[in-house]
Amino acid sequence: MSAPAARRNRGSRSGATWIAYAVLLVLAAIYIYPFLVQLATSFKPDPEALANPLSLVPQVWTTAAYERLFLRSDFPVWFRNSVVVTLCVTAGRVFFCSLAGYALARLHFRGRGVVFAALVAVMSVPGVVLLIPRFLVVKQLGIYDTFAGMIIPLLADAAGVFIMKNYFESIPRSVEEAARIDGAGVFRTYWSVVLPMARPAIITIVILSFQGSWNELAHFIVSAESAELVTLTKGVAQLAAGQLGQGMQYPLKLAAAVIMTVPVAILFFVFQRRIMNSTTGAVKE
Amino acid sequence: MSAQPATLPRKATRGSGIRGREAQAGWLFVAPVILLLGLFLVLPVVMAAWVSLSDWTGRGSPFSSEVSFVGAKNYSELLLGGGLATQDFGTALRNNAWYVVLVVPTQTALSLFLAVMVNRKWLRGSGFYRTAFYFPSVTSSVAITVLFLFLFSATGVVNKVLQAMSVSGPNWFADPRGVVHVVLGWIGVDKGPAALTEHGVLGVSLWQWLAGPSIAMSVLVIMAVFTTSGTFMLLFLAALQHISDEVEEAAMVDGTTAWQRFRFVTLPMLRPTVFTVMTLGLIGTWQVFDQIYTGTQGSPGKTTVTPAYLSYTASFQSQQWGRGAAIAFILFAIIIVMTVIQRRVIRGRDQDAL
Amino acid sequence: MSRRTARTSPALALLAASTLALAACSGGSGFDDPAPSGTEPAAESPSDGDGESSAPAGEISVLIGSSGDAETDAVTAAVDAWSQSSGTPASVTVASDLPQQLSQGFAAGDPPDVFYVSTDHLAGWAANGSLHPYGEQLANVDDFHASLRENFTVDGQLYCAPKDFSTLALVINTEAWEAAGLGDDEVPTTWEELADVAKKLTTDSQVGLTFGPEYQRIGVFMAQAGGGLLSEDGSTATADSPENLQALELVQQLMADGALKYPAEIGAGWGGEAFGSGAAAMTIEGNWIVGALRNDFPDTPYRVVELPAGPAGQGTLQFTNCWGIAADSESKEAAVDLVEFLTSTEQQIEFASAFGVMPSVQSAAEAFAAEFPEQEAFVTSADFAKGMPTVQGAAEVIADLNAQLEGLANADAGEILRSVQQNLQAALDGQG
Repeated sequence: MSAPAARRNRGSRSGATWIAYAVLLVLAAIYIYPFLVQLATSFKPDPEALANPLSLVPQVWTTAAYERLFLRSDFPVWFRNSVVVTLCVTAGRVFFCSLAGYALARLHFRGRGVVFAALVAVMSVPGVVLLIPRFLVVKQLGIYDTFAGMIIPLLADAAGVFIMKNYFESIPRSVEEAARIDGAGVFRTYWSVVLPMARPAIITIVILSFQGSWNELAHFIVSAESAELVTLTKGVAQLAAGQLGQGMQYPLKLAAAVIMTVPVAILFFVFQRRIMNSTTGAVKE
Repeated sequence: MSAQPATLPRKATRGSGIRGREAQAGWLFVAPVILLLGLFLVLPVVMAAWVSLSDWTGRGSPFSSEVSFVGAKNYSELLLGGGLATQDFGTALRNNAWYVVLVVPTQTALSLFLAVMVNRKWLRGSGFYRTAFYFPSVTSSVAITVLFLFLFSATGVVNKVLQAMSVSGPNWFADPRGVVHVVLGWIGVDKGPAALTEHGVLGVSLWQWLAGPSIAMSVLVIMAVFTTSGTFMLLFLAALQHISDEVEEAAMVDGTTAWQRFRFVTLPMLRPTVFTVMTLGLIGTWQVFDQIYTGTQGSPGKTTVTPAYLSYTASFQSQQWGRGAAIAFILFAIIIVMTVIQRRVIRGRDQDAL
Repeated sequence: MSRRTARTSPALALLAASTLALAACSGGSGFDDPAPSGTEPAAESPSDGDGESSAPAGEISVLIGSSGDAETDAVTAAVDAWSQSSGTPASVTVASDLPQQLSQGFAAGDPPDVFYVSTDHLAGWAANGSLHPYGEQLANVDDFHASLRENFTVDGQLYCAPKDFSTLALVINTEAWEAAGLGDDEVPTTWEELADVAKKLTTDSQVGLTFGPEYQRIGVFMAQAGGGLLSEDGSTATADSPENLQALELVQQLMADGALKYPAEIGAGWGGEAFGSGAAAMTIEGNWIVGALRNDFPDTPYRVVELPAGPAGQGTLQFTNCWGIAADSESKEAAVDLVEFLTSTEQQIEFASAFGVMPSVQSAAEAFAAEFPEQEAFVTSADFAKGMPTVQGAAEVIADLNAQLEGLANADAGEILRSVQQNLQAALDGQG
């Protein structure tokens, strides 16, 4: 801790301290309370959720909402689809982005500068413009309404390439040169020597990809239509839109939202330090 | 192929064999990414550009011979036509503009405030606070929208809290009245002056342009600030931590107050980060779609329709694919122009934005 | 030099090649991936459309927009029964957003075989060739009510078979009615009586009347005043008329008196929910409310009466959907057979009792009236019911009207009608 201010400031400092703590606590409560309410409401019966929305402890505990989700709806299918897509996209992105990042950082080839400039340009295309066009391309390629159509377009990730490239550039060349002298080929050097050293960057990509694809909605709307390919985001969005003749059913919808949040929450808490320390990426649209 | 030496102008320190292989490997390594980006980023944009200039009705391929080039018809219908298409587009732009105007400064200021609060060295449990503020950013927009639909329902948490303070909360998600109009209503101004109601831009009267976000849209604004303040707080935290301690202490020795220190020392050094945060905010807020699709679908009264959502409904619901694509491109242009303007205004000195 | 160009950008070349390939293969069947079904074309499928339906060969996929579990179960049971007897497998899916899913399916060349089509979308989908006009192929084509057939005829072709129809009537909570001291002869038959009764029924915990903020409800008043959106022959827009203004002003007056509130204001998603939960004593809804009340609010006692007459007499709206068959379907013959089954007299009565809609065939009308006396008012209302405009572009204009109606309480009714007039006329003229 830095040296405390002169004594004359001490009085106002503790006053200010108390105020600061109070403000922080109130703000933190505002940020946390909604999620606690969400969890609590998912265990309440429908009428109580409407009558008593504020309370954090249900008067009547019931798992009816979860039962309905898992036993009488397509929720398990949605969960499975989200898992499949997220794992494939994450693995794919790690592989392709690290390959390209390494090439841009370490390998000399003609046109490297052009590729780099193109990547920068491409990163500036806002996602909204791609909504309809991706549908058209996926349809033309014949992968509409398939897992391929849902996964492959999401593998394109310019920002990930940048993250890997930046990290690779910070690895000392001596290691690679040693490997080369030992006769290792380019791919071998990359795969067995350099990549393991890039773990922090890889973890960053894993986190970003996982979060990005688990929470993705727009692409899943346009790239598939059959009920077997609905993911969690699309399914819960449909649930939220509701149906004519059905009541509000908040516990059901909130239970779905809770389960949807659990995997990313786990990821978050496990990798908390790393997420909060990385200043690149981690952008929420 | 790899045995072609001396003609390469680049420095070939290692010997051509390895260089050549390296070049091959280099291309091979970037090939997948280039292919993916080309197919799913560049090609779609090209296709959409074509669709926006054609009369494709949604069946068959857009490149087939039955689809003809119609020039800027879709664009002129949107911008100059004056009919329902123009009105809807104008309404969407108005809604999104107010959303941007409210969200970007608020989220920037709030995240800066949170970062400053959490950055204090004497603060115990700063990890807890950082986690609390960042957690909403991790969740999916769909989950948060569902949560807010519950919180802000007519008899929901927010209204119950307001009731406890003897304030009668509005029916948040069902209220199409513009906030500015509501405030003006309190001081007795119910109808706009003729000058504003008679004239309009893009089919929407000036009085309606100034209506402010609707109450329903305001909930979406709150939601946006709630979910993004954590991310930007982290960016500011990182920047704050870079400001060396010596600078802080030097300022302190000079006998300045904390506020003066903040204003004249810290804030200027944060400028690049402020610029980054605002740019990211701009780009994000002009594309808001998920929350509309999940939560309000444009209602009440079309006050939560945004250009991104309009592009989607025009194509997928009204079968007006050319119009939908045109909307997307106009939005693209808006985002680029806004970013460029912002760059000029702030004169971002740090080019590592984005 | 030559070496440099030989080296440059193999990746760019790859990109260029793929673009060319895509462009070249457009329109042809080159890129259409055979779905797991294989590609056995139906025996007599004409060469329209280059896509294929989303189910394996021979299997029929049915997509419906359901009003609730009752409807879903009934349709699924019916389709299963047909499946058994005909030997063709068929599956039913409930859409969460039917028009969007159908649009996406048509655009992708991968639509379901059989699906609901509303009057809103018929014109658009008939125009872009997404629908197969099979109407005349049906054995029972003459049995459908004439007005319903008309609704689904475009350019002289009957595109699809009407599956049922509903009219709007006034639904009254009998318990609240008696509690307010009202008797049988006070059932409103004029606008003044309606306003009167609604005010009497309004208490602290219950509002007298509710209905959704949309043309699909408010339009009844326009019909009763002698107005409407389109002229008789459907070629001119008549939205901006004194009759329509009268109708809107009636609604505004009811709201100002506190006797009318929209469902959202009283915490409900639609009129039926508000009625069933007791938040409102009366509502204007269609036949579907019968099934919904039975399922969700079985304890709310109600009766259905014809809507009151306005200055020009009685009037109400009727709604209907049809069974559309995709032009891209691979099993058109089987699909037509399925539709014939689903629109048969017996099957329609089944649906009627399951979720409360009126059969679209005349042969079932008597049986329906006999079996469901509580829905008598819906049946008799058909005599003076008006259908929804089917012209292309009308749906968007009505959606815009509905958006404006949400704020009707504080709005200038004349302004609203003027804007609708403009938009509707533009739609009629330009076919946007």
